[in-house]
Formats: sequence, structure tokens, C-alpha cells
Amino acid sequence: MADDMPLMRLEQVVKAFPNGTLALRGVDLDIDRGKVHGLLGANGAGKSTLIKILSGAYPATLGSIFWKGNAVTWTDPKQANDMGVATIHQHIPLVPTLSVLENVFLGESGKWRHDSSYGKRFATLCSQIGYEVDPTALVGDLQIGQRQMVAILKAIGAGAELIVMDEPTASLATEEREIVYRVVRQLCESEGKAILFVSHFLDEVMKLTDQVTVLRDGRAVMRANTSDLDEARLAEAIVGREIAALEAVTSERAARANQVASARPLLEVKNLKSEEVKLAEANFVLHVGEVIGIAGLLGSGRSELLHAIFGADEFASGTVLLDGKEIPKSTTKAVKSGLALVPEDRLKQGLVPEFELWRNTTLPFLGGVSWNRWFPVRERERERGAEAIKRLQIKAPDPDIVVDELSGGNAQKVTIAKWLFSDIKVFLLDEPTAGIDIGAKTDILMLVRTLAASGKGVIIVSSEFEELLAVADRIIVMRDGKFVGERLVGETTEHELVRMAGSQGQQRQLH
Amino acid sequence: MTDANTTLLARARTPETVSVTPAKPSNPLDAEWRRILGLREMGVYYALILLVVIVAVISSYLGKPNYLSTLNLTNILYQSSLTGIMAIAMTVILITGNFDLSVASVAAFAGAIFIGTAEVLGFWPGVGLAMLVGIVSGLVNGSIVQYLKINAFIVTLGTLTAIRGVMLIYTDGRSLSVSDPAVLDMMKAFESGRVPIGLALYVIATLMLIGGLWIAFRRASRGGLLNPAAAGLVLGSIVLGTLSFIGGPDVSVGKPVIYLATFGSVIWFIMTFTTVGRRIYAVGGNAEAARLSGINVQRYKLMAFVLCSAAAAFAGVLFAARLRSINPAALTGEELTVIASAILGGTSLFGGAGSVVKTLAGALLLYTLTNGFNIMNLGANYQGLIEGLVVIAAAAIYTVGGNRRKSKTG
Repeated sequence: MADDMPLMRLEQVVKAFPNGTLALRGVDLDIDRGKVHGLLGANGAGKSTLIKILSGAYPATLGSIFWKGNAVTWTDPKQANDMGVATIHQHIPLVPTLSVLENVFLGESGKWRHDSSYGKRFATLCSQIGYEVDPTALVGDLQIGQRQMVAILKAIGAGAELIVMDEPTASLATEEREIVYRVVRQLCESEGKAILFVSHFLDEVMKLTDQVTVLRDGRAVMRANTSDLDEARLAEAIVGREIAALEAVTSERAARANQVASARPLLEVKNLKSEEVKLAEANFVLHVGEVIGIAGLLGSGRSELLHAIFGADEFASGTVLLDGKEIPKSTTKAVKSGLALVPEDRLKQGLVPEFELWRNTTLPFLGGVSWNRWFPVRERERERGAEAIKRLQIKAPDPDIVVDELSGGNAQKVTIAKWLFSDIKVFLLDEPTAGIDIGAKTDILMLVRTLAASGKGVIIVSSEFEELLAVADRIIVMRDGKFVGERLVGETTEHELVRMAGSQGQQRQLH
Repeated sequence: MTDANTTLLARARTPETVSVTPAKPSNPLDAEWRRILGLREMGVYYALILLVVIVAVISSYLGKPNYLSTLNLTNILYQSSLTGIMAIAMTVILITGNFDLSVASVAAFAGAIFIGTAEVLGFWPGVGLAMLVGIVSGLVNGSIVQYLKINAFIVTLGTLTAIRGVMLIYTDGRSLSVSDPAVLDMMKAFESGRVPIGLALYVIATLMLIGGLWIAFRRASRGGLLNPAAAGLVLGSIVLGTLSFIGGPDVSVGKPVIYLATFGSVIWFIMTFTTVGRRIYAVGGNAEAARLSGINVQRYKLMAFVLCSAAAAFAGVLFAARLRSINPAALTGEELTVIASAILGGTSLFGGAGSVVKTLAGALLLYTLTNGFNIMNLGANYQGLIEGLVVIAAAAIYTVGGNRRKSKTG
């Protein structure tokens, strides 16, 4: 009888926030033992809130939670943890200055910092998930993928039966993802753990999960076995409409492809290199109305390239010409000349978290909304914020919202919006679609094409090569800080790009 | 550490989702009022008013001299003026995300240079040289912090000692004083003497009233409700008008108070109304985002150091002119009072938030305490304890209490 019972069951869970936001409007969720349960939903659909309720960070406003058949109310994450629910957050809370071993057993209540049993238990844990990591290494020295594994070890080390993984693969390279998938399968199949796997990537949800729940606007709109589904149906459930997303972008591009070849050069990059960040000499030309995609895995030097072009890398050397004029190496000069950078980490690099949306939107070009260039006029600034909301379809009630209350995709739109109100000629976009839902993704990719159509130049970095194939005119492949190939979109395939960008990694695995 | 924790807590409380359809129609203006009148925003003013009331009641009950006399109140202003000037500049540097422990040493050294050179070079060249010392100290502090990327706390802890050491070398460990009567007269004219401000107060009160009503009418004509800025201006004008009415047209303050008011107004104006002010808040709020938005972060942070040291030098000159002499231990420990004022005013030690006006209120709070202790003849032994507790209580209120949205106006 007990086996039929779901490990965790949510019934009509409602979450309302004091400011009136209704994040969940009655969600049912069943998570079974030994199954990987996928949780999908667009930004703002309520995934994060649901995870926080599961992990005990928030109490539910209404509805009930059953754990192994018993109704429970958790008031803080520790209680949930003690009962066997472990949550691995996107930003992994490990102590970087402690060793792997110490991190894994951080929650132990023993007296001593080192316990002789730890080593043995660690080895058992490693063999359980089939992944080896040096227990004495400092967590701060590990790659992000390895840290992910340490977090998983820590979760099972604490005896978790349900592991909630919040977008575990969002910032991982392909090989690292494969490891996560393997470990997740192993945990379910041989250890009988239940996993709630939150993700934006439809293909991995299809491949990895047994069951899926899709959230939309605070409701569970789909609950099904993965084997009965396909990606198109999932996508439809997520956005609530059929997506012709990438196709639309592609056709938009195709219509203009021929004109680009004859256009005049807009941005010329000559001998740009930076030894400090292992960026080897880069040379290329971006034409008016052209979109160049940079395909590369994490650590391939793609972000470093954009930062060097933008003058944000003080160790870089080389020349960047815009319209034939050299840009001095300074972000201030770069912006003045007409370059814009949308950085990879939106909250750390792109936005001032405590500023309102309008204050963030006007930051690069305060002069334009100011009286006599010196005195910002609030009315004009708020109008600009409102315009940004309208133009990029940002989900925000008004421009006065503080940006760190926005969800990922909407915050990303603000980092782009702040460059749209002046004479920017070249946009450098670093992973503008990472970790955001299909709807917002399509909006952003369409915007890139619109910008190109109006004569701007765009350089876009992405780990999702199919996106680059849809949006770019030409793709440059990077690996280990070097350009390893250049293709026109018509002449290449996703398969080839993956092979070029990742072959180094494969060689390493052979050794 | 505490700030990191509060951010985490605050984040946990923050909804990740933004409702597209407002579920419960809550009046945004109500929320705005609640925020503005909350402890976080107004705490320092409440504390100041409360303290003044308590001291006034106790001193009249004990039959001490009238605490609320014009003379005593203007004295408090006078006593807090040097700290106030330094605290305003300290607020700016804290907003940019840096820290300056060396202000008191810079002030003392500038004062020594001023006393040491005023007789030889003349009064104004002496002032100029002292200011130059301040500016150079600021450049040194700022350059080490910004270009060598060493933590500002450590750098200025070093220059705190080093500049005091330079001063000891310069003065050879002895007190310096001025005896030339011409220079003494100049000093007197510069620092002492009182300026009648009764009329000025009336004018300012009237302007505030007009400004407040104008904003209110403009808002009302668009169908809006009373907004906090207008209410604040009107309320302020009434308070100011009443005070100047009670004080009469002859009410006067010491010259340093005028300097403080002028300096404070200029900095407040810059921080609140100009692009420079906005960028300073942005630099402190997220330096990397500001840099990638094309703001010259290095320059803004460097200039904050220069402003801070220059203000300290000016305060040092005022201090030296007040005493007509300076001893090598002058102003030791003053930096802590300066920083405490900024903290009482709600300035974040992690950058991005703070307000010049509230810092001033913080300085007044500390000097009201001191003055109250004197006037009530309470043992000075308790003073340090009470002041310390007040600072901690303030920090606790800002960290725990109220809304996490921080003040972003000057």
C-alpha cells in the first residue's frame, strides 16, 4: 500500500505574497519514488515559488503537502531537509574555501572537523552515483559542473530521498551535462531516489524524465508521462501557443541574407588578444546589418572576446575599428562610439539590482533624458522605462519595479532595453537567451533580427547552436580562446558546430 | 556579513514572479507612504526628535538651564559642524562602495600645515596649502585603492597611521600655534562670529512652502493624490517657519554652520538631481554593471576619495582656526564619530545607498546626546556607552526593520 503512495504530494497549493502577487493558484503535484519528475514552465510561471515551498523556504498560503502520505507543514528549510528533501539551487551554496569532503559533511553534528569515517562514507557516496571527485580539493577550485556534483553528494550524504534540482544544467557545457544526466538516472534506478528536475531545455526533459508537470501562470496545466509526449506538445503547454519560434526568425533572416554580403564593413577587429584570459589573436569584420554568431562552449573565450572588443578587458591589446575609426580601450569610449554589451551574468554585470527598472534603463545614456545634460528628468526617465516594457514585452506592472524582483527573462530584457534608446551601432550579446523561457527567447531573437534589419551589427554568443543557426548570418566557432572555424549559416549544421566547438574536450576524454 | 544575510533573507521573502494581473488592488501610494514613514526611511529623524524631547523634559524637570533655548540649539549645530562636513563627504565615499578611515589624520595634518604656514605665507595661501594636502591625500588613497586594487579599509587604515606620522614629523611632536595678530584676526573672521540667519530662514521656509504647494497642485491637476515630496516640503517649511518665528529675526549661528549648510546643500543637490549623483549610486550599487554601461567607475571612485579628504582638510582648517593652534594628537578618533554619523543616517557600508541629509541628522543625533549629557550634568563616563548602543541600535533597525529598499536620494 505504501508503495502506491507518492513520496510527495501537493494538493491545491496556493501561494500569495503580501504585495498581492498570486504566484501559485492551486497546484497539484505527485512525485513518485524512483522516478525523475520534470518541472517545466515559462519565467514567472511559479516554478521558483513551488520549489521554495517544497524545500520549506516558504509556507504555502493554502492547500496541503503530504510527505510519504502524512500531511506536513514546514516552516524552514532545515525541517524539510531533516525529513529527506534536499534542494540543489541554481547558485550552489557551497563554501568555496573548504574542501569537497568538508562541504559534503558540513551538516553533520559531530564534534570534530575531521572524522575518520568521512573518507569511507565519501567513497560509498561516490560509488553510489558513479562519479569520482578528489575529496581534498577546495570547492573554490572546482569547475561549476564539479560543484554541481558535490552538491548532489552532499544531498544524498544527508540522506535525502527527494532531490529537487533547480536548472542544474543551465550553466554547464555539454559533457558536464551528460554527467549530470547519468548521475540522475543512476540515483533513480539503483538508489530509488525521487528527483524533481527543473529545466528550460525541452530535449533534456524528454530524454531524462519519466513524468512531467508543466506550470503556467501559477497553475499545473499538464501532468503526463514523458513517453506520451513530444517536444512540440511540451512547448505548447509551456507557452500556451504553438511555437513557430525559431522558424519565424529563420525566415526573417533568409529574406535578407543576400544583402549582407555586399554591405560595408561596420566593425573591424584586428589582432585583438589578451593573454591574461587566454584569448588568442582575433581578426574579423562585421558588416552593416550582419549578425555574427559565436559558437563555443563554456571557457572557450567567447565572453572574453566580447569584453575585449568592448574595452572592458584592461589586459587586451589590438585594434577595434568602428566605421573606420579606432575605439580607445575603455568602456566609456566604447559606449560613446556606439558599442553596447549585454553581459552574460545579468544581475552581477548587467543591472544595478536595487535600482528601479527605469533607473536601469536610462543608465548608459542619462544625458538623453536630462535637462541640460546634467539634470535627469524623472518623468522622461519613467516614460522611457514604460516604453522599454512595451517594446520588449517585459512582464512588469510599471517602470517603478525594482529589477531584482523581476524574473530571469524579464531582467534580461531590461539589460537589452537599456541600449535601445540611443545611437548604438554594434550590439555584443553574451548568452542573451540563457536560462529564459521560449517566449522570451523568441522575443529576443526576433529583436536581434529587427536590429540587424535596421542596419545595426550584432555579435551574439550562445551555447545553443540551433539558436545561432536561426538568428545569425555567419558563425565563428571558438575553442580554447582561438577561432577554429567560420561558416555561413547555410553551409553548416548544428552537428558540425558541436563537433568543431567540442572536439578538444573529446580528445581530453580519450586520455 | 550581516548585509549579505539580510539580502538573503530579503531575497527569500521576495516573490520571483511578477503578477501580470494584480490580484488584490492595493493602492501603490499607500505602500509608498508606508515605506517613507517607516523606520528604515525616517528612523533617524524619529530618533532625533525623540531624543530632543527626552532631554528637554528631563532637563526642565531637573531645573537645569533651558535645553530648548535658541542659544543651546545653535550651539549643537556649531559643535556638530566639523563632524557634519566630514560625514557628508564620508557618505559619498560610502555610497561609491569605498571606505575612508584616514579623515581625522588628514584633517589634523591639514590643520597643522595651515597653522604652520599661515604666518609665513599669509592666511589664504595657508588655507590653499592645507586644502592641497587634503586633495593629494585623497589622490593617494584613491589611487592605491583603485589602481592597485587593495581594499579601501586596509589602505586607509594604513594612511590613518602614516599621515598622522607625517604630521608628527612636520610638527616634531609639539603643538603649533599662531601669534601674528593680523593672521589671528583673519582666523577669527573666518571661523568665529555669528551670522544672523532669521531672515534667511523665513525666505527658505517660504520657498519650501511654495515648492511644496506647487508640486501638490501639479499632482492634483493630473488627478493624482498628495505625494510625499510635497507633504515633506510643506511640513518642513512649517517647522522651519515656527522655529525662526520663535527664535526671532535675530537668531544667529556660527560661521562653520553656514559652511556646513552650504556644503551639505551642494552635495545633496548633486546627489539627488544630477547625472553625476545617479552615476555615483550606480557605481556603488553594482560597479561592474556601471562599468559595462560605459560609466568611468575608476574616476568616480577616485573623486569620492578626493572629495572626502578635501572636506577633511577643510574641517581641519576650521578646527585649527577655532583653537588658533593645533597639537599632534588633535582630532584623534574623530573618524569613528564621522563614520558613526553616516551609519546612523542609514548609509550602507556596502555601497549604493545613503543620504546626505540623513547623515547630517545622524551627526546632530550624536551631538545632541553629548550636549544633553553636559547640560544634565550626567557623568561623561556613561557617554561612550550610550553613544555606542545608539549606533548599534540604529544599525539593527536598518538591518532588521522595514523595507529593504534603500534610499537613493541625496
